[in-house]
Amino acid sequence: MTTPNAKARVSFASLTPNNLGTVRKLNSVLFPIKYSEKFYQDILLPEVEDFCKLVYYNDIPVGTVCCRLEIKEGRTSLYLMTMGILAPYRSKGLGSQSLELILKSAESHAKIDRVYLHVQVSNEGAKRFYEQHGFKLVGLHENYYKKIVPHDAWILEHVPHATGS
Amino acid sequence: MAPSKRALPSKEATLFRELLSLYETRQLKKGVKTADQILKKVPEHGETLCMKGLCLAQSGKREEGIELVKKGMRFDLTSHICWHVFGLIQKDEKNYEEALKSYTQALRFDKENINILRDSAQLQTQLRIYDGLVETRHTLLRLRPSLRQHWIALAVAHHLNGNLTSAKKVLEHYEYSLKNIPDYDVEHSETLLYHVRILEDLGEYAAGLSLLDVNSKSRAIVDRTAIMEFRARFLSKLRDADASNAWRALIDHNSDRYEYYRGYLATKDVDLDNLSNESRCQALAILQEFTSQLPKAVTPRRMALSFASDEQFSDLIQQYLRSGLTKGIPSLFADVKGLYTEPQKYKAIQAAAETILQENTPLEGQYSRGEPTTYLWTLCFLAQHYSYVPRAPPLQPFLSPDFERALALLSTAIAHTPTLPELYTLRARVLKRAGDLVGAASAMNEARLLDGQDRFLNTKCAKYHLRAGMVDEAIQFFGMFTKKDAANPGADLEEMQSTLYLIEAGDAEYRLGKLHLALKRYMAVDKVFHEMEDDQYDFHGYSLRKFNLNIYLNLLSWEDRLRSHPAYVTAALQASRIFVKVHDDPSLITAASSSVRLSDAEKKARKKAKKAASKAHDDKKPAAASAADDTVEATAGKDDDPDGVKLLGAADGLDRAAKLLQPLESLASDNIDAWLVIYDVAVRRKKYLQAIKALKHAKSLDGEHAELHTRLVDFKKRVSAFPQAPPPPIGPLVVASLSTLLPEEVSLETYNSLYLQRHSKCAAVVLAAARVSHSLGAPVDEVDATVFTTLADDAQLDILTASKILDLLKAVKSSRVEEYRLACLSHFPLSTVFMTQSEMSERQKQSHVEAEKLEVAP
Repeated sequence: MTTPNAKARVSFASLTPNNLGTVRKLNSVLFPIKYSEKFYQDILLPEVEDFCKLVYYNDIPVGTVCCRLEIKEGRTSLYLMTMGILAPYRSKGLGSQSLELILKSAESHAKIDRVYLHVQVSNEGAKRFYEQHGFKLVGLHENYYKKIVPHDAWILEHVPHATGS
Repeated sequence: MAPSKRALPSKEATLFRELLSLYETRQLKKGVKTADQILKKVPEHGETLCMKGLCLAQSGKREEGIELVKKGMRFDLTSHICWHVFGLIQKDEKNYEEALKSYTQALRFDKENINILRDSAQLQTQLRIYDGLVETRHTLLRLRPSLRQHWIALAVAHHLNGNLTSAKKVLEHYEYSLKNIPDYDVEHSETLLYHVRILEDLGEYAAGLSLLDVNSKSRAIVDRTAIMEFRARFLSKLRDADASNAWRALIDHNSDRYEYYRGYLATKDVDLDNLSNESRCQALAILQEFTSQLPKAVTPRRMALSFASDEQFSDLIQQYLRSGLTKGIPSLFADVKGLYTEPQKYKAIQAAAETILQENTPLEGQYSRGEPTTYLWTLCFLAQHYSYVPRAPPLQPFLSPDFERALALLSTAIAHTPTLPELYTLRARVLKRAGDLVGAASAMNEARLLDGQDRFLNTKCAKYHLRAGMVDEAIQFFGMFTKKDAANPGADLEEMQSTLYLIEAGDAEYRLGKLHLALKRYMAVDKVFHEMEDDQYDFHGYSLRKFNLNIYLNLLSWEDRLRSHPAYVTAALQASRIFVKVHDDPSLITAASSSVRLSDAEKKARKKAKKAASKAHDDKKPAAASAADDTVEATAGKDDDPDGVKLLGAADGLDRAAKLLQPLESLASDNIDAWLVIYDVAVRRKKYLQAIKALKHAKSLDGEHAELHTRLVDFKKRVSAFPQAPPPPIGPLVVASLSTLLPEEVSLETYNSLYLQRHSKCAAVVLAAARVSHSLGAPVDEVDATVFTTLADDAQLDILTASKILDLLKAVKSSRVEEYRLACLSHFPLSTVFMTQSEMSERQKQSHVEAEKLEVAP
């Protein structure tokens, strides 16, 4: 017997110093990179509270999404640093729900001009995923990844206020 | 003293009246000033001196105040005020017996003083002097019959004194005299329910029912649940046809209360304590019906599991587990493990859980099959199942825990979802059971790191560190949740009456050989229980004033059994064991005090270094830092024996132990360990009759108990070593009792080897027999040979007994200590208990490396 996914409870929680251990644990199994202490300090900043979340499935933390705000030449960008769901919980729409949550928050945030991120050029699936959510390929960052192959990354961008009008 | 001396001039008399009312309104400073005014004119006025003393004592100047009260008493020994004041002072010091005596004196000089009578009644209740209480309450009622409270108080006094009929009569009188009670009056409702309760206790069910019905219809009783419960019980007792409906209504009211189902089933002639095959089927049918009618209720489903068997059980447990595992109920295993008394059910549960696991196991590399959280909780459940340690016979020989399997299941679960704290707490528990205390502590810490605001995880983590002997680390963990302004985390937890902390910290110190610190913690538990006893004092007045009668009476009977609490029992036994140890080997005291001096010197050196460092580094806030230091020292200075060294060396240690153990004779009378320690203390205090009583009681509980065996031999040895027999009647009684405890005609050596032969496969028995033969002068190699039999394949050896055996080998200076230790290491491969310091740190290094590897792996 399998329970239909519709019955599953999906929820999100903001990051606090107390649940940071869970974020660390998730990052350690989700990504091939060890993140710096600076990364963990920044995701606790109050201004990114709406853009850094833990994802819960049936009350168990199974994924995270973390962003930072960048202000360059008067333009505010939301950079999606990490997003990941534990393998057993994929294909259940958790990634989409998380991304939509972030995009919605970005939209209600008047100052944010765009949301962007990097995808390794070997990761077609991820590219397709983001494109389905309104991201567009805007460039290629050569040698973006120092330690993993291939080194290049696509840059994908989403302009929140443009999609509405 | 002549009363003439007591009379004051009119101006001073007015001042004295003012003084009394100042005290009543707690204006203590003004009170002292007013008293001084009187004393200027009449310096030897006893009552004024006493009142001044009372004001001082209650405003923080205890010593000075008490001195004054005593002085005042000397000037006027026949004043009720003086005696009353003296009683108040004694009551403040929790010296209830003496306070009551003072009140009684005060009443001799003023028989009808309402205040003193009321205070006496409170003391009599606290001291459980119920016949005296009835008298006092009677006097109060006679003096002020118009106060409702006095009627109720007399009824309660009769009730406590065991005279329910009189209580009932008082209540009847009282209710008859009442007029114009408004509807929905809670106090009146409580009183009526109390009356109903008395009728129930008296067995007057019909009367109780009619009182209940009349008053619930007239809206005088407002507690709906209480009405329904009383009704159901009364109807059942009266075997009324309406009883099952009454229980049914309660089940609809709250469908997860066990007693309601029990009551309902009883009306269908199903007695759950005494089931026949037929009534078992009937019970199951009824519970099934409830299950379908109340889809959200868990209780009928769970109850059915207890009564079902064979295929029906397999079906039901499958449904039960499936629902729990799908919902993700963490306590599911704790819920069903009560069924593990039957091997058949044990197997059925295992089969059901394995089936659910199968269904939800993802296929290689694919996660589309099954629900991932159900899979996860099933892994958890099975890990608990396989690591379950059976304690009682039907399962004990039948299965042994499989720690490796449990750990493998948990590794699978952690690889699947590494963010569920339960996986790490379970891993910690399995490792603990397998004897890897260090690994268990670090697994618990992993759980804690996942959720820093979870105090449960924090406490568990700290507790597991205590278990592994890492006291300083544990205190740091505890400190994350304790008050920041407390002297140290331990002090705050003691203040908060955390017996968990006190017991675990005491045990940790005990294992580390720091008996003084261990004793300090155990005695702090005793203090906690004293405080709980004292806490009831105010309720004797408050509850009657507020008419909270039913709950108040429950409180009193709870207080009467307070010291049956496991925390008290453990602390009392451990503290007594320490007192006995120190009595047998006083060199432990000097060892403790020199170790404290050493660590004090260390601390001072460390503090000096710290101060020097902080001076060098931080010149900004030197004033604040030193101020903080002062406060810490000031609060620590309050306890003149912070390390328990004085306590450990107390000359009356054994008497203190006897006092700790005294409540256990009635409150833990089926606890064999309690009787063994009672014996240990009694025989050293030369209370031979008490020692015999303890041995007899222990023997009636478990005649073949290993620890009892050593005591029996010990007692016979002591008696035969008497330089002269104790005088009659004790001497002959001791000799006569001894022959009922162990056979006279057999030598102790033979007695010991016969005992060993009877249970040669039980490690605890082997240990006891080895101890005895050593005490009888057997050579060391004989002791060695005995205990090495515990390593045989068919011997039942557990970690605790093995480490005790190792201690014994060390104590008798055996040459085979290392051999036994190495054997234990391979016997318990996961355990760290038998490791040397260097082996332990090697293991720790290894686990760090492994943890890092895990961290790096994608």
